Amino acid sequence: MPPYGNEPDSTARRRDIWFAALVILLAISTTYLGETVQQGISNVVQGSVLRPFIALQETLNDARRRAGEVDVITQRLDSVTAILATQSALVEENRLLRDMLGLIERGGPRFVPATALRPGTAGSERMFVVDVGSRDGVPMGAAVVGPQGLIGVIHEVRSQSAVGMDWSHADFRASAMLVDGTSYGIVERRRGIFQEDDRLVLSGTAYTTRVRPGTVVVTSGLAGVLPRGIPIGKIDRLLDTEGSWRKSFWIEPMVEPGAATHVLVLTEGSAGDLSGVWPVDSLLTREEAIGRDPGS
Amino acid sequence: MSQPVRGRVWVLVILLVVSHFFLRVGMSFGQGAPDLLTVGLLLWARETDLGRAGAMGLGLGLLEDALSAVAFGANSVAMTIVGVGGAFTRDYFVGDSRFFIVSYFWIGKWVRDALHWASVGDSIRPPFVDYVLVQGAVGGAYAAAVGLVLVAITGLGGEAS
Repeated sequence: MPPYGNEPDSTARRRDIWFAALVILLAISTTYLGETVQQGISNVVQGSVLRPFIALQETLNDARRRAGEVDVITQRLDSVTAILATQSALVEENRLLRDMLGLIERGGPRFVPATALRPGTAGSERMFVVDVGSRDGVPMGAAVVGPQGLIGVIHEVRSQSAVGMDWSHADFRASAMLVDGTSYGIVERRRGIFQEDDRLVLSGTAYTTRVRPGTVVVTSGLAGVLPRGIPIGKIDRLLDTEGSWRKSFWIEPMVEPGAATHVLVLTEGSAGDLSGVWPVDSLLTREEAIGRDPGS
Repeated sequence: MSQPVRGRVWVLVILLVVSHFFLRVGMSFGQGAPDLLTVGLLLWARETDLGRAGAMGLGLGLLEDALSAVAFGANSVAMTIVGVGGAFTRDYFVGDSRFFIVSYFWIGKWVRDALHWASVGDSIRPPFVDYVLVQGAVGGAYAAAVGLVLVAITGLGGEAS
């Protein structure tokens, strides 16, 4: 009897089922392959079809590892930089304290060392607090000095602390003279456009005064507030002439108030002469000192 | 299956296989990437007969087994049976409803995980609840979502050609 209906399809279907069963058996048989054969198949597949993906993973892992190493190196570099910066500050502080010790030796017991703190709050600009007060013998209006010269004056005295104003304060005034005593005047602050532009001015000097730039200006002791001989600054250049009877000069200050952290406070009033405390050599800049050195 | 459809299926399966290994092996996403191998096999199975679907499953399973440090062959068994099973559905389920497509991929992936769990040795077999019920269900949903998008885009797999 000839085939009827969908018999050819049924034959193909049976063949298909047998083929599927064979494939399933083949798949099951892979689980029973020897370890060496399994490993061999894995190696072949990994080394051919899967090789690009494995290589990509290796590349990305290397990149991640390198990125992690960069982070570690950056952290180490930051640490080293921080250490170096700290050491730099220590060296600077060490130098300042050594200068201060030299000043104490020259000035004797008239000075008490103190730490100057700047509150940094609104209304306390150009003011500082020192950790010595009336208990330490600090009087009102006492001079606050550093190794280079005048920083400011004490404005308010408490038992264990005192508030001072530096030379950039609007109320700061100092009776001053040229270091050779040839001319006298008043040193005060002159406002600039910005706070950083504030400068000192020596005003009220005689019209006939001849002043060379770089001449040191010191306190004169005449006003009865500050003792004589504390360096304030150096003549920079002529500022103004008023009529034909007096001149004003810009002054380059000896001390930048913001940099003063360790100071000395004078415990005596305006009496005395402190000219010997700041020898001429101590007032020279590094460049000036090199210029004066005959060996250079 | 017509020649153009066969060509599209081949291209799609190859893309899915490459994407699967690119994401899981190359980019090291692991289980975070969908099981595109199973999705590709299930798509292929809807377009071909039992034997070819099984052969494709065996081939893809061997690729995964090559990366398996232990239990070589477990993926081959699971994928082969899933391929044959997927091809069987052509005779019993004809349709392209979303419900069918989601169920097809979700169950297919879940069965694949269950078969793999059953095929690995006792010493390394993970907990049933964790691997089959939890991870299998989540992986099935992941595969169903991907499969649904692929069917919508390509128009393949939804109805036997």
